[in-house]
Amino acid sequence: MADKVTWNFGEFLSARSVAGETIIELAKKYPNVWGITADQGGALKQFKKDFPERFIDVGIAEQNLSGIAAGLALEGNIPFIFGMIPFMSMRACEQNRTAICYQDLPVRFIGTGGGLTSGAGSTHNAMEDIGIMKSLVNMTVLSIGDPNMVRDIMLLSMTYPHPLYLRLAQGKKDRMLYEPGKYEFKVGMGLTAREGKDATVLAHGEMVFEALEAANLLKEDGIDTRVVDMYSIKPLDKELLFKCIKDTGNILVLEDHLMDCGLASAISDACMDEGIYPKKFKRLGIPQIYAGFGSGEQLRKKFGYDKTAAAAAVKDMLK
Amino acid sequence: MADPKEVKRLQALAYDMRKKLITLTGYYEGIVHIGGDLSVTDLLIALYHYGMKVDPKNIKAPDRDRFLLSKGHAAVSMYMAMTLRGYFDYDTLMKTYGRLDSAFGEHPCKIQLPGVECSTGSLGQGLAIAVGMAFSARMKKEKHRVFCMMGDGETCEGEVWEAVNTAGSYKLGNLVGIVDRNKQMMTSFDGDYMNLEPYADRWRAFNWNVIELDGHDMAAIVDAIDQIPPITNPKPTVLIAHTTKGKGVSYMEHEINWHAGSLSKADTEKALADIEANYDKLGGGK
Repeated sequence: MADKVTWNFGEFLSARSVAGETIIELAKKYPNVWGITADQGGALKQFKKDFPERFIDVGIAEQNLSGIAAGLALEGNIPFIFGMIPFMSMRACEQNRTAICYQDLPVRFIGTGGGLTSGAGSTHNAMEDIGIMKSLVNMTVLSIGDPNMVRDIMLLSMTYPHPLYLRLAQGKKDRMLYEPGKYEFKVGMGLTAREGKDATVLAHGEMVFEALEAANLLKEDGIDTRVVDMYSIKPLDKELLFKCIKDTGNILVLEDHLMDCGLASAISDACMDEGIYPKKFKRLGIPQIYAGFGSGEQLRKKFGYDKTAAAAAVKDMLK
Repeated sequence: MADPKEVKRLQALAYDMRKKLITLTGYYEGIVHIGGDLSVTDLLIALYHYGMKVDPKNIKAPDRDRFLLSKGHAAVSMYMAMTLRGYFDYDTLMKTYGRLDSAFGEHPCKIQLPGVECSTGSLGQGLAIAVGMAFSARMKKEKHRVFCMMGDGETCEGEVWEAVNTAGSYKLGNLVGIVDRNKQMMTSFDGDYMNLEPYADRWRAFNWNVIELDGHDMAAIVDAIDQIPPITNPKPTVLIAHTTKGKGVSYMEHEINWHAGSLSKADTEKALADIEANYDKLGGGK
């Protein structure tokens, strides 16, 4: 819980532990909160001891789990599904759509291993999840890097009447970005993590940290870079996006997701639809490739969307 | 043993429902899944008019039994059984079924049609949802049952067996599955390509209590419902109802073409004549 956290910018904390503590906090307060998993509930270690009657582990059966979540929600419960993103978003995709979203049920998906952070290779990489989840009608899509934000979002989700997908980064070792309690997070809002006037880097999840590091590199060259945490991918904070375009002209989108169906796509859709165009626009992220093995950091470097690549892209835009 | 008077009453309702289903199919210019509708007619009448604790005037009563139609393409038969119970207006069902903005769609939608417990239509998904509802009831110490009707064809889906496994493992005694075992899928008979036997053993192997019955023998259906153990039973129960797709209409029974279709005026008249000819067998007798 927030008061126990020693906060230091950039230091590691486990988002999964924060989620595990928060669901206990919620379950104590709300008798309709459930923690359920398909044999992937590392965050539920304590919860299942404290609330065995509201814990379900179905074994490795994600489709079934999403169906059960729908059944629980139909009866007035708020089930939190804990699992690894590729299986939650792809194996159970139709159940998420038809059993949960079609009926507009308040199921929460807490997914770990966003982007290429899993280290387990292409079977476990999560490159498509935002594209898939944001295409489901009624689904809300949030992507979070800062582990302490998980608590804020889980708390706000208690009064949110729709399905909600919460994409975490690696989940065990995540960078702290914001002092707990300093900001209020809302569905449909972005957060300006750093002010700047020459260009804006819009990022989500762990890439916000990379973007802030890139901004530090650029500062050495006298370039003043704004960094925006677009944690709410659907709905998108268009007002903030257009303000960034107006203020800085140049827009770089940086994300640990396929470049052609994630935040960058949502942003370019919004710009085209509204007829508000950046002076220059560039996207960095995962290309159309199965990235294979390596740590998230190594793969980001290999495929050209780490802080160095981001800094170079901004410089290029300002030429 | 089932009360003969009660059986007679239910048979008469099922007889009426068959005629109304044929009339609707003849009236509607689109396609109706009439084969599977007729195979679950007797079961749905028995559930909505005898087996389940429901009140059409209080559709949100917390202690009501829950019913999910996993074989959502038989929606019209559920609508009809519910209409005969007093949930919906027959004329509205007849005139609007399947049409733009109607609450009575080809597959049931709980948002459009209050009284429906769950939107279904994508096969194989109902049982897992019913398992979730059964978990909730048990946690809240509620006394009702959750009924889930499946087609045997949709039990080819893996998700069904994931849910069967969960319900057996967690000993969900408040869950009742009903399988419309008509041995016919959309394009083939059981055994042509996929073989579902030994069917009952498959459920038993997952720690379910199995009751097999003739799904067109009203006395047998009533007996089977009476045999469902109390919700404290350490096993969920499945009623495997042996049925015939298109039951009651001679030209539809055992015909692969009658999974779904529309009826010409002549087809409609012939089907109604068939049902009337089988008046006593289908329980039309007073």
